Amino acid sequence: MEPSRQQSGARLSTFGVELEVHIASLRRYARALLRNRSDAEDLVQEALTRAVARADTFKAGTNLRAWLFTILHNVHVNQVRSKASRPDEVDVDSVESKLVTPARQEERVELREMMRALDELPEEQRKVLLLVALEGLKYEEVAETLGVPIGTVMSRLSRAREAVRAKLANEGSVALRRVK
Amino acid sequence: MNAHCVTDDELHAYVDGQLAPERRLFVERWLADDPDAARRAEDYRAQAALLHELFDPVLREPASGPVDELTGKLRGRMPGNDNAAPWHARHWVRMAAAVMLIVGGAGGGWLGRGAVDQSPVVQQRQTLQTFAEEATQAHRFYTSDERFQVELGADNQDELNSWLSKRVGRDVFGPDLGGVGLRLIGGRSLPTELGAGAQYMYVNEANKRVTLFVGAPRSGNPAKFGFSQNGDVATIYWVEGPLAYALAGRMSKEDLLRVAEAVYNDVKAGPRRPEPQSQQNQQPQQQQQQEQQPQQQDQPPAGVQPISDTHKPKDS
Repeated sequence: MEPSRQQSGARLSTFGVELEVHIASLRRYARALLRNRSDAEDLVQEALTRAVARADTFKAGTNLRAWLFTILHNVHVNQVRSKASRPDEVDVDSVESKLVTPARQEERVELREMMRALDELPEEQRKVLLLVALEGLKYEEVAETLGVPIGTVMSRLSRAREAVRAKLANEGSVALRRVK
Repeated sequence: MNAHCVTDDELHAYVDGQLAPERRLFVERWLADDPDAARRAEDYRAQAALLHELFDPVLREPASGPVDELTGKLRGRMPGNDNAAPWHARHWVRMAAAVMLIVGGAGGGWLGRGAVDQSPVVQQRQTLQTFAEEATQAHRFYTSDERFQVELGADNQDELNSWLSKRVGRDVFGPDLGGVGLRLIGGRSLPTELGAGAQYMYVNEANKRVTLFVGAPRSGNPAKFGFSQNGDVATIYWVEGPLAYALAGRMSKEDLLRVAEAVYNDVKAGPRRPEPQSQQNQQPQQQQQQEQQPQQQDQPPAGVQPISDTHKPKDS
């Protein structure tokens, strides 16, 4: 592994810890993306099943994190596609996900607004924002994961951040000003 | 006016820590002159902090059984695998992984502030955060002046440990951190929200001090841990068995995590071990508390060197 690729993992050199870091990161990302605990764990589970099956395609010394996120992304795209062909199930899921969203996290007004702003983003922008701002992926890793040019990553990131910013400001939140 | 000096992409890269180092000063100067751009950067950072606050709790939840199982399988299949950690290190590995992904309260810990919730889980988390804050404050306070850094020196560890165990109401001991270059110099007891806590103070060769704060929470839950950054003091805290630990020091998260791992392993290994050379301990063995708790610490950990008193630490 390149030790400098990810500041956080640099000192934790063992492969096991690195893998554990990335899988924890996948789980957090999946939850932020799907917002539903069991859907998120299912997505990670399916991605890991595929990763196990394709473990021999991973080249030692290349970017493990990008490899794992790419698999998860592809699994997710396939799931969305197959769910779209069964519209009834989509409805059930989305209702359920609303119910499962933990209320406690949304008690603070700025958290609630952040959650809503995230919801209202187009999915392609939401993914970029989460991968960069929450998971700390490098822009090139995001481009590789999503299979888009880096310029596209940058423009989606910029649009996502400005949209969230406008939403938080519009809804009269003084929270973000107060923070400093 | 000088908005053209720095591109939009560079502003994002600056916020995300992905800017080429040679451009950083340039961007910072620009931000100092352009309040709108500075506000944007600040808002982007705030968005990231909110995302962490919303979703970092996932890192504290155990993974589902199948995900756990697949993690183990994947570890076995991957090239570059250096073999599974021993079973007892498993929890530590997971905790370390999550600590690495948690961003502490940016700019003095406003994360988590203001959250009002009555659920016991959240209450416990806040209690632990409070515990960690107390540990951080105690670290600041008692490392500020060498004259009163410890109440009782480590020259007699049996005495130190049994005295602090009595205060905390549980068997506690100062772990051996010789492996990461830290020497125990002593400890003190302090009141906390969880009752009396024990603060152990360590020092390295560069005279940098690290403190380990130990307390007894009302209910232990090994899934609870966290990281906070308060100014230059980093704190990692967790619960293991009946005790809560908070480790504080002026060092990077990675370095502190290595110390935390040493604490974790030494605590796991237990206090009792053969004493290599008893020159450091002239006191008769204190066995009387042995019956109450099998985890009682009686032996000074190997490699810890005593000091003559609390005022003038002497080097061996």
